[in-house]
Amino acid sequence: MNDDLVIVVVAGLVATACGLLGPFLVLRRIALLSDAVSHAVLPGIVAVWLVGQTRAPLPVIAGAAAFAVLCVLAIDALRASGLVASDAAIALVFPALFSLGVLGVTHFADGIHLDLDSTIYGEIAFTPFDTVTLGGVEVARAAVVLAVVVLANLALIALLWKELKATTFDPEFSATVRLRPRLLSRLLLVAVAVTAVAAFEAVGAILVVTMLIVPAATAYLLTDRLVVMVGLTVGIGWIGAVAGHRIALGLDSSIAGAMGLVCAACFVLALVGSPRYGPAARAMRHRTRAVDTAGAGPRPG
Amino acid sequence: MDRLSSLLGLPYTDTVVVVGAIVLGVTSGVLGAFAVLRRRSLVGDAIAHSTLPGVCVAFLVAGVKDVPGLLLGAAVAGLVAALLMVGIERAGRIRPDAAIGVVLSGFFSLGVVLLTHIASTDDADQAGLERYLFGQAAGLLERDVAVMAALGAAALLVVGVGRRALTTTLFDPAYAGSIGLPVRALEALMTGLLVVAVVIGVRLVGAILMVAMLVIPTVTARQLVDRFTRVLPLAGVVGAAVGATGALVATRAELPTGPVVVLAGFAVAVVALLLAPGRGVAWQAGRLAARRRRVCEDALLSDPGAPDRGRRDRRTRAALRRRGLLAPDGALTAAGHAARSDLAERRALWSAWLAHGASVTLPDAREPDPADLRGSLGDDAVSQLKALAGGDSGSGDHGRARAPEAR
Repeated sequence: MNDDLVIVVVAGLVATACGLLGPFLVLRRIALLSDAVSHAVLPGIVAVWLVGQTRAPLPVIAGAAAFAVLCVLAIDALRASGLVASDAAIALVFPALFSLGVLGVTHFADGIHLDLDSTIYGEIAFTPFDTVTLGGVEVARAAVVLAVVVLANLALIALLWKELKATTFDPEFSATVRLRPRLLSRLLLVAVAVTAVAAFEAVGAILVVTMLIVPAATAYLLTDRLVVMVGLTVGIGWIGAVAGHRIALGLDSSIAGAMGLVCAACFVLALVGSPRYGPAARAMRHRTRAVDTAGAGPRPG
Repeated sequence: MDRLSSLLGLPYTDTVVVVGAIVLGVTSGVLGAFAVLRRRSLVGDAIAHSTLPGVCVAFLVAGVKDVPGLLLGAAVAGLVAALLMVGIERAGRIRPDAAIGVVLSGFFSLGVVLLTHIASTDDADQAGLERYLFGQAAGLLERDVAVMAALGAAALLVVGVGRRALTTTLFDPAYAGSIGLPVRALEALMTGLLVVAVVIGVRLVGAILMVAMLVIPTVTARQLVDRFTRVLPLAGVVGAAVGATGALVATRAELPTGPVVVLAGFAVAVVALLLAPGRGVAWQAGRLAARRRRVCEDALLSDPGAPDRGRRDRRTRAALRRRGLLAPDGALTAAGHAARSDLAERRALWSAWLAHGASVTLPDAREPDPADLRGSLGDDAVSQLKALAGGDSGSGDHGRARAPEAR
């Protein structure tokens, strides 16, 4: 397969996996929890490397998921103590876990295949060279792993669509009809963690966070319907992947960074030009309203 | 600095790092309080990430890793990011968390692109620019620390001069506006101070971990004292202590400074959250357990003949027996009967307070304590209550509706 195509497909799969989860995070106002979780999985990856000397996807994902759950539980516990606001709880927990990971990397795993920079920036340019043979065809390993994650995320939101929707928009109501909002929220964050880890090697932490938050926030500016929002989010992610790849080739710069920039540019466009919520649209509505009231003549009373 | 290094018995370079960590701890501790108490801690995270493109641009413009220049670039980028966050939020639809996330990832992506661009230019001086992400204590110069200290001192001076206005805006923006304080400008000032703290610290602990240095001191200080005027200096002290400890451990063990400082701070914050006198989790749990015990004991005293309902019940009986209120056969002793009638009186008084409390005249504002109404309100109020309850009993209507004149 063509190397460039592999890179774009891998990035697109990341965009899809993240795009399926991102809207729920943005709507639940826990977008930053995804940032925290994707940083907090680092010690999990390191621990798996230290214990098992392996970077095979399954154990790494299990270790990372364990730390993601730990992170969420710790944040929950801090918040529940009533002593710390939720933003400060997030800001306390994830740097601590990330520090553990950094110390593990620099102290125990120095010089081996666990490179800190690549977990942050990712080296998507190398994904075409790391291949596995599947049914006689050579495919990029990252693409296989990410495809599995996309399917898992798709299954999660397809099977729990109604439940996720209800708990996202009205947690109190869903609690009264026994939809277990906390459990669903945990499940969502575990899915975020698994996605983050699977995507780490390929695209790095920063693109994962970007793909989870920015396309979803962009789509949120453009529509009011959840289904449309999920679709738009995945679409915007793909635009970022394709255009970002082009730009990175042109500028000879980080591919993941360029993809993130394209997503951010999409957000700015939507913020300024959204037909529904942009300043232009709002000014227009304002004017029509002004004309309406003017046309209605002086108010009685 | 030389004298300090011989005083501490540390090599010169380590002394510079430790002093730098103390400067960082004091400034981020004091200035971070404004972010934490406004529930905007993660704005600090976004600002820290956003300094990356600023540093890259400053390097591209200046061509050298000149510290004041890089700090200026970082500060400008941080300010722009902070303003963008406010702007996106004001635009309406996007909530603060998503605004923070978008700005954070947008700026960081830009930074990564610029970083790789610089790396591809083969400039020998660019090596190590990326260390900026995780912080790099090694190679910190005395001059850098002097710049950090000057910046920090200026920011602290601003806080000292404007502390009344800042405090008012922090806790009650609406009131601050009503007495003519420029609320928007003061909020912008707080964000600006946050940028200063981030810029000072990001060199040492790195962009990703910086937010912890803003949050840890305030969370810890808030556990220990209640007044904002005391939280501020205490946060500075905590920050300095954390910075010094972390930097010392890191230089001794030859570990990266940032993560060690953050972990030391995290440990301090967790200990404070658990054990802080009065407010800590352990104290709260102790109070709750005492209250539970008391409820169980009261229930048993008022109905000692109730059947055994499990372990907690047996433990309560044992406690009452130890205090001599319960005879070994399970009946109340003489002291137990006294305690029981005392309890009944207390309960009757509380019901009377609920029914007639509004018509009791108190000499000053007093907080009624359900467990000890006599102690908390005084004998006079209790005799008033008894008279009110006595006059009301049997009439069959609620005294509160009629509100008789105070006698």
